[in-house]
Amino acid sequence: MSALAWLGLLVVLAGESLALLNRGDLRRMLFFSTASELGYVLMGWGVGSPIGESGAIMHLLYQLVMRALVFVAAARLIRRAGSSRVEALVGSYAAAPLTSLMLAFGMFSVMGLSPFKGSFSKFVILYAGIESSNWIVAVAGTIGSIIAAFYFLPTVAAVCFRRGEPIPARTVRFGIDGAVMLVLAAVTIVMSLDPEPFLVFAAHLAGVANASRFPEFEASWSLPILLPSAGAFAVFALGRISARLREVGAVTLAMSTLALVWATARPGDLGDLFALLFAGGGLAVVVYSTAAMRGTHAPGRYYFFLFQMIGALIGVATSHHLGNFYLFWELMTWASYILVVHDQTEDALKAGARYFLVCTSAAYVMHFGVLFLHARLGSFDMGVIAAGAPGISPGLLTLIAVTFMIAFVAKAGLFPLHFWVPEAERVAPTAISAPMSALLAAAGLMGAIKLLYILLGGTLLAGARSLPGLHLPEQALMVLGGITLLLGEIGAWRQTDVKRMLAYSTLAQIGEVALVLGVGSSLALSGALVHLVNHALMKSVLFFCVGAFALRTGARSLDDLRGLGKAMPLTALPIAVAILAILALPPFGGFVGKFLMIYACVQAGQIGAAVVMLIGGVIAAIYYARFLRILFFEPYAGPAVREAPIAMQAVSATLALLVTVNGFYPAPLLRLVGPVVAALGGQGRLVALALPPLAMHWSAGALIAAIGSVVVFFVGKRSAARSGAAAVLTMALALGGVLLEAGRYDLLAFAFALLIAGVAILNLAYSAGYMAREHAPNRYYFFFTMMVGGLLGLVAAKNLFDFFAFWELMSSWTLYLVTIHEESEEALREGTKYFLFNFVGASFLFLGVTVLAAQTHSFQFTNLAHTAALVPAAALYGSLALIFIGLLMKAAQLPVRIDYQMHPVPAPTPVSGYISAVLLKVGPWGVLKIFVTVGAAATFGRLTRDLPWAPDLMGTIGVIAAATLLYAGAKAMVETGIKRVLIYSTVSQLGYVLLGLSLGTPLGIAGGLMHAVNHMLLKNTLFLVAGSILSQAPVRTLDELGGLGRRMPVTFAIFFFAGLSVSGIPPFNGFSSKWMIYQACFQSGHYLLGLAAMLSSLFTLAAILKFAHGAFMGPASPVAMTMREPPGVMLVPMLTLVAVSAVISAFPGVLLVPVSHVQTALGLEAVQATWLGGVPGPSPWHPLGLALALGGSGLLAWSYRRLSSRRRTTGPIYSGGVIIPAGRVELPASSLYETPARLVRELLAGPDRAAADE
Amino acid sequence: MSDIILRVLLAALVFPGGLFVIVLGLGLKGLERRIVARLQRRIGPPLLQPFYDLAKLMRKDGFVPELAQPGVFLLAPLIGVASMSVAMAMLPIAGVYTPAPVFGDLIVLFYLISLPALALMLAGSASSSPFGAIGFSREMALMLAYEAPILLVIAAVALHVGRGTGAVASFDLAGIVDYQRVHGPFLLEWRLVPALLAYLAFMPANLGIPPFDIPEAETELAEGPLLEYSGASLGLFKLGAAIKTLVIAALGIVLFCPNGPTGALGLLLFVVKCIVVIAGLALFRVTMGRMRIDQAVLFYLKWPVLLGGLALAAVTLRI
Repeated sequence: MSALAWLGLLVVLAGESLALLNRGDLRRMLFFSTASELGYVLMGWGVGSPIGESGAIMHLLYQLVMRALVFVAAARLIRRAGSSRVEALVGSYAAAPLTSLMLAFGMFSVMGLSPFKGSFSKFVILYAGIESSNWIVAVAGTIGSIIAAFYFLPTVAAVCFRRGEPIPARTVRFGIDGAVMLVLAAVTIVMSLDPEPFLVFAAHLAGVANASRFPEFEASWSLPILLPSAGAFAVFALGRISARLREVGAVTLAMSTLALVWATARPGDLGDLFALLFAGGGLAVVVYSTAAMRGTHAPGRYYFFLFQMIGALIGVATSHHLGNFYLFWELMTWASYILVVHDQTEDALKAGARYFLVCTSAAYVMHFGVLFLHARLGSFDMGVIAAGAPGISPGLLTLIAVTFMIAFVAKAGLFPLHFWVPEAERVAPTAISAPMSALLAAAGLMGAIKLLYILLGGTLLAGARSLPGLHLPEQALMVLGGITLLLGEIGAWRQTDVKRMLAYSTLAQIGEVALVLGVGSSLALSGALVHLVNHALMKSVLFFCVGAFALRTGARSLDDLRGLGKAMPLTALPIAVAILAILALPPFGGFVGKFLMIYACVQAGQIGAAVVMLIGGVIAAIYYARFLRILFFEPYAGPAVREAPIAMQAVSATLALLVTVNGFYPAPLLRLVGPVVAALGGQGRLVALALPPLAMHWSAGALIAAIGSVVVFFVGKRSAARSGAAAVLTMALALGGVLLEAGRYDLLAFAFALLIAGVAILNLAYSAGYMAREHAPNRYYFFFTMMVGGLLGLVAAKNLFDFFAFWELMSSWTLYLVTIHEESEEALREGTKYFLFNFVGASFLFLGVTVLAAQTHSFQFTNLAHTAALVPAAALYGSLALIFIGLLMKAAQLPVRIDYQMHPVPAPTPVSGYISAVLLKVGPWGVLKIFVTVGAAATFGRLTRDLPWAPDLMGTIGVIAAATLLYAGAKAMVETGIKRVLIYSTVSQLGYVLLGLSLGTPLGIAGGLMHAVNHMLLKNTLFLVAGSILSQAPVRTLDELGGLGRRMPVTFAIFFFAGLSVSGIPPFNGFSSKWMIYQACFQSGHYLLGLAAMLSSLFTLAAILKFAHGAFMGPASPVAMTMREPPGVMLVPMLTLVAVSAVISAFPGVLLVPVSHVQTALGLEAVQATWLGGVPGPSPWHPLGLALALGGSGLLAWSYRRLSSRRRTTGPIYSGGVIIPAGRVELPASSLYETPARLVRELLAGPDRAAADE
Repeated sequence: MSDIILRVLLAALVFPGGLFVIVLGLGLKGLERRIVARLQRRIGPPLLQPFYDLAKLMRKDGFVPELAQPGVFLLAPLIGVASMSVAMAMLPIAGVYTPAPVFGDLIVLFYLISLPALALMLAGSASSSPFGAIGFSREMALMLAYEAPILLVIAAVALHVGRGTGAVASFDLAGIVDYQRVHGPFLLEWRLVPALLAYLAFMPANLGIPPFDIPEAETELAEGPLLEYSGASLGLFKLGAAIKTLVIAALGIVLFCPNGPTGALGLLLFVVKCIVVIAGLALFRVTMGRMRIDQAVLFYLKWPVLLGGLALAAVTLRI
């Protein structure tokens, strides 16, 4: 390299740096900047090649014209302001728009920012440097360009966008310099539009005969790009006539663009897929903007640049020519920058500048790589490059890939170039935040996909693997994506500003996709693409709705949004869908993408990536749950507001609908993505892996319940009674659906489904009485019925996907929203806690299910037993352990704090009853299902054999269950909260069920199943009894009650029966099932577990007696005086439950025969049972015999009393001779069981001591 | 089917439950009162005094406090008598009586034995009297304490028998008796000595005998749960308590020393064993003062639990 080039290099760097240092003064800045351009010319010459010389000549020519334009315009502005300080020029645009515009135009031209072609000559010089192996020239040129951007942009922003103090009006006459300025501008435009003749001229001067040696920097624009870009001018022109016309024109243009893109899209082309996304997103933004931007300032500019951005996005997506790709890339940045700073506030300009500088600088770096590729391969055509890429040395290829990746990382907002995202998306008009987040970030990732799979044709993927320890760029994507994901989620969690929260959430989502892309399998690609589309939809809805709120109320922070969901229900409905979807909850689109992504990670062995995603998801759940709660469940305090304009509602609703469709029926989206992945995979030489099942299979019962729930919601808007009746009818139909489809279920599932629907009918009927005076009954029935639908779908699941999807449906949002129905502060707090806990539990399950499927290569339950046998023991063990953790957490078992995971106290009581009785049984049910499905004892035996060091899984469950049933039983004994007693007791009883099932013996499983049903009947009864009390007065603790036995004798009798039975008092049904569990424990050698179970039933008895004493005995408390027997609609469900329990008490065979059939159907050994027979076991017995004996003996005793004196006297209780008014001397529930209670409190201190003491 | 029901009813109503246990229970109660009196250097009532008492109470008025829950209040005394009568019917008498197969199981029996305590608690709670409520609370506290050791005892015996018969654990009462008839009474089995001691400690608390008569504590609670009872209902409670003493003694005999000849001689030996146990309990009654409830609870959670645990460990570890 010649000394001349070195000199030029020094001049460039020195000049640009000095210009940057002097950016406060326009005159000096321009001087140094111009001097640095001479350096480029010197470098061109110094390279010593003809191309370099041509570039130098051309550069001189271009700069002469364009600099002149800048100087003239600058001189006019300086003259007007009387100072050359940039600060003094702030707000020039207002006074001298034309000159300001010309200065900006000139500066952008000089910088050479696409689409301005001032840098065309610079490209030639840099290209010459690379071509002649003087890379340093190109590096210096790139650095120089980046520096230039850092001083030009603030200047342009200051002159054109910043709103300063009004400058003393000194008008600038047009004059001769004005004319010169316009002439120069015209020449610049000509030079930009067609640089070809100038290049030929320069080449001629340099003595290059053949101009074809120069790279063809650009190809012609295709129609789908031209349409919006050129149409923007038409829309601008229309806007001069009328605003209405502009809007109509804009919508028409956006629609025709979408139509054109649709028409020209080829299936299987990555770019066309994204072009569709961009055009569709563009249409949404345009329609939304017609409402959002109406009446704001400078709408003409807004629409103009919006269409430029859409055009550029389509261009980026569809270009097969790298020069064009780069051009549109820059155009996209530039147009979006102007949209971001549209509001022209200080904040906006600052954030916009940061965005622009990061992305432009990164793009310059990419340009370096672009030129490099051309110098090596002689073409900008992607096909040619893909074909030639394998010829380039791996090191160089990696370097090129890095330059590209820097640009993509910056645009997508990945760590470490992510910092511009939150502010930029916050300050932009909401209509623009949405595409920034949904579309531009996607463009960044699309670039990465293009680079990896098309441009470098998988060469890099294959080549990089051969370099030990250097798995670029997959590792890079994974690491950067993972960091971005966590940064984004944590950042979002800390925000109070809604838009910034959403922006951080974008970081997280994009990071997630990048992470998955790094996995680099065909599944990962599918997952990433599906999620990018869904994310575009969800995030747009979020931003659009937030924008709608802001439009009506000016709300910006989370606090401002309090209760707006109630004030603007129609506007807010889509955002509810979007929140649930972005939390990856079924049946919405986000779930499908998330499932695919997690599965892809796990399938490729990247468990760590999956874990990071799940952790991120949990953090997201925290802040999105908060968001949902604030919006919809907190009281609204502001003035009355109108719904948002119809255009906004329509856009949000349409997008939300699409998200829902993508979840319910993902086939269309998968059909779009599938060919693209196949094509990319072909180039990247990926093994094509079959997609997991991604569509939920709705059983008739589940579908009826789900559809019915929506009907109930709308039918019941006005009448509580009608919604209750509709809900009961829905559930009756769902029960019919289960019966009709009996063949679909296995026997266990069928029995469970019948119970699910049957108990739901009772609880919904009961609710008709309970909800009579409550608010929003239709909402309550909607969530309740939908939750039951999820349960019905769960038990009908035939594959792991359905299993997990319906698990989420019944255990996430439906459950959450129905438990916080009361909307009290406590309900919201406790409900949210429960939701998060379930979310964490489901995450374990998620991981376990996907690991199991990935290991066995099968989702179908029917295959699992067969395929599980082929899986290495450790992997199978791990996946099962994860699944069991998830299942046990649902059942609120130790060692996690029970008071955190048990269902919340303030939920509506019929729901509490249903959760306790039915919903939580999915934990034990799942354990049994998985146990049987993966091959029962044979498989678990193999695990124990192959992994002697690992604790036996089922054995561990048994120990956990036994510890839990003791712990929770003891807690129930010391509790005084009316529902807390029952809830703790539920946890304890779930422990019994799990203990029985975990033993794996015929007797144990039969006992567990029988106890599950018994507890279903009994605990539900107890909750309904509690509901009969709680629906009459808002009492919390037993101490507030008393004497209810005489005010509601039927209810008391019901409680008495169910309470004693659930405590395991013979001869009731609760004892029969417990007895089988005790026996099974001892028979299988787990006598300590059996002892724990036997002891804990005393705790339950103590808790039940305490409840009876506190609530029903003694003198009536003031609040109890107001209570009376509940209405028939509530009594009948309770009496039904009791009647069924009574029948089972007398004839346990009624339950045990089905149980034994279930055992046989599951392929297990069954217990011996007959319809009228007794309880099977090592020493079988019959409760009816016991009952008869007890009855007979009782009769004997009764007859003694009958024969005695028949006189009855009554009077006050003995009080030592003094008269004590009724109610003054009684022993409250909280003072019972002194010493043991104290011991329990001391031993089990910690979790909820405060609650225990309340 | 019907013959089994008949057999069960016969066992519960006539022998060894029902009439038999009532007569024997009351008779032994009279004997106990006599022994206590003699130990206190009193003459004591006639042997048939408990029968006279019951007859006398028949003539008294029934009383139900104004604030009580009448249903539970009146149901409670029946539970105590019925459950003990049935419990007796479940206990085999070696060589004399074997319960019907649908009937005899130690675990069922264990829970049946807790029914009189349940009846007492319900009575105390339902009476609306604070004395009754305190009695209920104490009874439950005590029960939580003494049930732990008795569970250990039962488990130790069941496991011991199970080991010997090839099963893991046997809760079959008849099986336990048969085992001892073959292998000798557990009284002589050193591994089960701690279990026997734990059982002995369990008896006074379960029966409400000093030093564990805390729930009824005549001097401070005025009989607590029984305070508001009178007439036949009180009589039933007294009857229930008398039968229960017999049942608990009989259970001890079944668990540790059921051996005896067949026929009338066997029955006689059984009665003699019962008398020995009851005499021992009478000795307790006269020589002990009453513990405080917290002392009693902690006592049971320490020593008897330790003994029961020892027995269980000795049985399961085969040392």
